[in-house]
Amino acid sequence: MMNDLETTAHKLCQASRKDYVNPYSDLEWPDTVNIHNWFMSPELISLYGTEHYDRLSEADRKKLSFYEAINFFSLNIHGEKSLIEGLAQRLYRRDVGPISSYLHHFLDEENKHMVYFGGFCARYAGKVYPDRKLSFPREYQSGEEDFLFFARVLVFEEIVDVYNVQMSLDERLVPLARQINLMHHRDEARHLVFGRKIVKELFEHYSPRWPGATLQAIREYLINYIMGAWKEYYNPDVYRDAGLVDPYRVREESFNHPRCRSHRQKITRACLRYLTENGILDKEPAL
Amino acid sequence: MKTEAEIRLALRQWVLKNSNKISAEDLGDDTAIIEQRIITSLQIMDLILFIETLTNCPIEVDSLKPGTFRNLNTIYKGFFHGDDDDRSAKES
Repeated sequence: MMNDLETTAHKLCQASRKDYVNPYSDLEWPDTVNIHNWFMSPELISLYGTEHYDRLSEADRKKLSFYEAINFFSLNIHGEKSLIEGLAQRLYRRDVGPISSYLHHFLDEENKHMVYFGGFCARYAGKVYPDRKLSFPREYQSGEEDFLFFARVLVFEEIVDVYNVQMSLDERLVPLARQINLMHHRDEARHLVFGRKIVKELFEHYSPRWPGATLQAIREYLINYIMGAWKEYYNPDVYRDAGLVDPYRVREESFNHPRCRSHRQKITRACLRYLTENGILDKEPAL
Repeated sequence: MKTEAEIRLALRQWVLKNSNKISAEDLGDDTAIIEQRIITSLQIMDLILFIETLTNCPIEVDSLKPGTFRNLNTIYKGFFHGDDDDRSAKES
């Protein structure tokens, strides 16, 4: 693969070794948590700014924040499961060989993330919210599958990282929730550097060979993927557990609420700018 | 409680509303909506949530059998008919 990417991967390997985390010893787990605390920054709660949120008491908002955190950790687990699967498939593949040393760290770090995300969900909620995504096999143009894999990973991690950074700094949150967000951000910062580099290089390398219809379909797919990634943040299971009536209606109304649209646009701004500045998208979509 | 005809109509309308790749005339109960990419994998989450609103019950995605979303018949049988054996036989 490309030299620039290899140099980046080499530097990231050194950084990963220096910032090596032990998810079993670096976190202290209380036996129980009081769910009448903030586990998610209120402004990041999916219903924030809607009538459904405004109607809740302070105690109910905090309870909702607990289940929103369970959902945030759950969707991370599901994202990381498919990421690990995709990385493992590419490890030591002939054309990926030179960056395999970094893929080892990537895999290792994603597995550790699932240890603490899963640990939190299992200990305090007794469950991980199920994944509603399915994928079906299809044919790809040359390089398209690799490009889409790393582009999906990048989009997913870009959104998550904005949440991580904000919550790692939010002193209203219980310390354990803050610490999990901080630990995740420390690793994700490296993954994002790698992701931005490899997505750009794969696109520049392969896209000139793709027929116009393929490029158009890839752009549509990416926009739909970004929307799909956001839809996972609006989970009726969360609303049901938090005691809200008619969770499917709450989801529908909140997802389409102007404040929620503007929130998605704001959180995704840097990611969309990266995609358009590099020609991957031809215009920023309205989310 | 919705009748079978109402549920089938609701499913059919959902597919037509969410895909611009097929006309109402061409969409049959046995049209292969995944294979023909009328509905993509990215739309499955929306479809699952729509089915949940019809059944008023969360779906255990992990327990779904391959082929559940193949066409409107398999979706109806998979989520509303309650006959697993029949569904498996049709999909094999």
